[in-house]
Amino acid sequence: MLKINWFSPLPPARSGIAQNFAMQLLPALARHFEVVLWTDQDQVAPEVQRMARVARYAPDAPPWREINDGAISVYHLGNQPDLHGGIWQVSMCQPGIVVLHDLRLHDFFFTLWVQYRKDRASYLAALERWYGGEGRRAGEAFCRGGISPESMAQEFPLTREAVRGALGVVTHSSRALAELKETPVCPIIALDHPYVPAGEPRYRQWLAARTASPHPPYRLVVFGYLSRNRRLEAVLEALAGIPEREQFRLDVCGQLWDEGHIRNQIERFGLGSLVKLLGFLPESLVEQELSIADLAINLRYPSMGEASGSQLQFWDYGLPTLVTRTGWYASLPEDAVAFVRPEHEVEDIQSHLRAFLADPGAFRAMGERGRQSLENNDPEKYANTMAQFATMVLRRSPVVSALALAGRIGNDLSAWLHPAASSYLLDRASREIVAIWQGKTGSHDE
Amino acid sequence: MKVLVVTSGVPFIRGGAEILADNLCQALSAAGHTAELIFIPFKHYPPSRIPEHMLACRLLDLTETCGVRIDRVIGLKFPAYLTPHPNKVIWLLHQHRTAYELWDHPMAGDLIHHPDGPVVREAIRQADRELIPEAKAVYTLSENVSDRLRRFCGIAGEPLYNPPAHAALFHNNFAGDYFFFPSRVTGVKRQLLVIEALARCQERTLVRFAGEADSPRELAACVDAIRQLKVEDRVEWLGWISEEQKRELYANCLGVLFPPVDEDYGYVTLEAMLSSKPVITCADSGGPLEFVVDRQTGLVAAPTPESLARAMDALWADRRGAAAKGEAGRARYEGLKISWENVVEKLLC
Repeated sequence: MLKINWFSPLPPARSGIAQNFAMQLLPALARHFEVVLWTDQDQVAPEVQRMARVARYAPDAPPWREINDGAISVYHLGNQPDLHGGIWQVSMCQPGIVVLHDLRLHDFFFTLWVQYRKDRASYLAALERWYGGEGRRAGEAFCRGGISPESMAQEFPLTREAVRGALGVVTHSSRALAELKETPVCPIIALDHPYVPAGEPRYRQWLAARTASPHPPYRLVVFGYLSRNRRLEAVLEALAGIPEREQFRLDVCGQLWDEGHIRNQIERFGLGSLVKLLGFLPESLVEQELSIADLAINLRYPSMGEASGSQLQFWDYGLPTLVTRTGWYASLPEDAVAFVRPEHEVEDIQSHLRAFLADPGAFRAMGERGRQSLENNDPEKYANTMAQFATMVLRRSPVVSALALAGRIGNDLSAWLHPAASSYLLDRASREIVAIWQGKTGSHDE
Repeated sequence: MKVLVVTSGVPFIRGGAEILADNLCQALSAAGHTAELIFIPFKHYPPSRIPEHMLACRLLDLTETCGVRIDRVIGLKFPAYLTPHPNKVIWLLHQHRTAYELWDHPMAGDLIHHPDGPVVREAIRQADRELIPEAKAVYTLSENVSDRLRRFCGIAGEPLYNPPAHAALFHNNFAGDYFFFPSRVTGVKRQLLVIEALARCQERTLVRFAGEADSPRELAACVDAIRQLKVEDRVEWLGWISEEQKRELYANCLGVLFPPVDEDYGYVTLEAMLSSKPVITCADSGGPLEFVVDRQTGLVAAPTPESLARAMDALWADRRGAAAKGEAGRARYEGLKISWENVVEKLLC
């Protein structure tokens, strides 16, 4: 059984990766691998420690001797620097499989380098590395406040910076990665985000709770880590703009990127009696909230490219959902979600809310279809495919040394030899590197 | 024939492999060939240096010199044996061992402590698997080296034993009151294990250690252990000794201690046998086990201080038995027909 190092946010960290992804996947993963969970968090929930061995590392001085007992390391990266900064730091030292939970990682790098480390030079160097002078200039403008974060994430996602030197990359959305045009040079695989739905009896209980009060007001829910791209302002504007707004209640569950601003917006739109900010909810209250909700609003724009664990959770509860037609969401079945066009956001939200009022049953059927689609998200299938992928990329690991060596040779020669004179040498060296690492021998003159 | 012997090594470190390379050149010359040694310096740290040295060897052109063809290249050590040549034969002294069986060894493992250690290890293994079979023939230093090559790379190599330098000058005088342990002072030779065993011996055994330390740290560890275990009066620390001194120390000892970790070959064993002395080695010592027959030509102990102490006590208390085992060892050496003539014939055929 392959021994793997699993670097991931773990409960009680407030992240979907920790609370849902890891907890859903680990039992299946432990059947396919000998798993060591590496963490730099202060605390790890006891239930995690019952699933696999937990080991600690300091990002500045990882215990390589112990890490190297594993065959391969798997790094989970996303846009929360507090949770992923240490993981990324280790991944830069030792190549492994990078699992991209977000595909646009500009926010991650900016926050980590510029805000936390006060290292603007590394941030700008990364932009220049992947986007040339244009990237550097945009980064400088962004630091001066001249460009929006959304625009930087769209134009300069820095995805390749996150997977620099990786042996393999896992995404949960092949479509989103293809759209990004930031394809890494290593093998890539797209896996369906793992999810274990609740059993049928429990689901029936939720349905019963929801249908116990089939009349207005209907409960809308927005859920998760609520950064600017979750479009909460557009949701408030849309709700405020329809005469039927009194037929809805909106519960906002999760940490807000700027709670003061949202409170001002609620006041400005006159929605104080309709909207409640509930903050981060513990698991028991999540169930209570989702089982009585009627419609979930799960927008992303711009999308960071991620697959949404919370979308799978909404479907688990049979909740109809409004999603933005972008990134991973755009690939969801047409009959299992209601799409919102980014350029007609308020208009589309309002139209869906009216449609809901006209025929709530049609929306409930949409949620049912979403729940049925969860069979594609079997964690066992995920773990099994991950095992095959790990075995495949391990066989390729010598290529990493070869590429690093080629890079060093190129740098060295360019420092002292005229390009015209170095071409023969570069050709010779590259042929020999291929000979050494790919076995195409016989390069000597016979 | 014009023959180049290609090897690599660490500047200022001279051990069995360097002696072997010199002796091979001499044997080739003695057989009437024109032979020269190409020594490629090798720095194995940080790990990223290793692929650079591999590439450096691949870029060498040893096909001819001043328009004259070089008939044969004999590759000995990593990464020198990767050097290409249409008529290359490899006599594998050893592979880069910390990429193989010593990867996670508590004393010897080095790559394992580095973040890029795993990928460099795989690069070394890949290169060995792909490029060793380039050679027209693959011989190895010992059955132990052949076994590793087969186990890790799936490549067959025929063991080809060679005699120690100046084999004819080794002799036996009498059984003195000491064990002799000649070796570089380094973790894998396990001087520390012997010091710990010494402290557990029931007999008042005495050990004479000879050999230079690979690093001041290794030496300090031994000195500290001797002091802590209070065996100062039962240890003689000789440091570097001449070849003549070495032969005399062999000739006058009761027996020879040689308990290394998975040694490739181990001239010490052969030198002891030529000196008609019994050898105490360990069950995980590798090469010496191809020559030491337990309780016939020496004793094979478990690699623990207690087991090694029991073997030392047993030999110390039975001097007649020790002498008999030494004589049996000499007879066994004679029976193996180890000679440079045989080595040269195989490598040039």
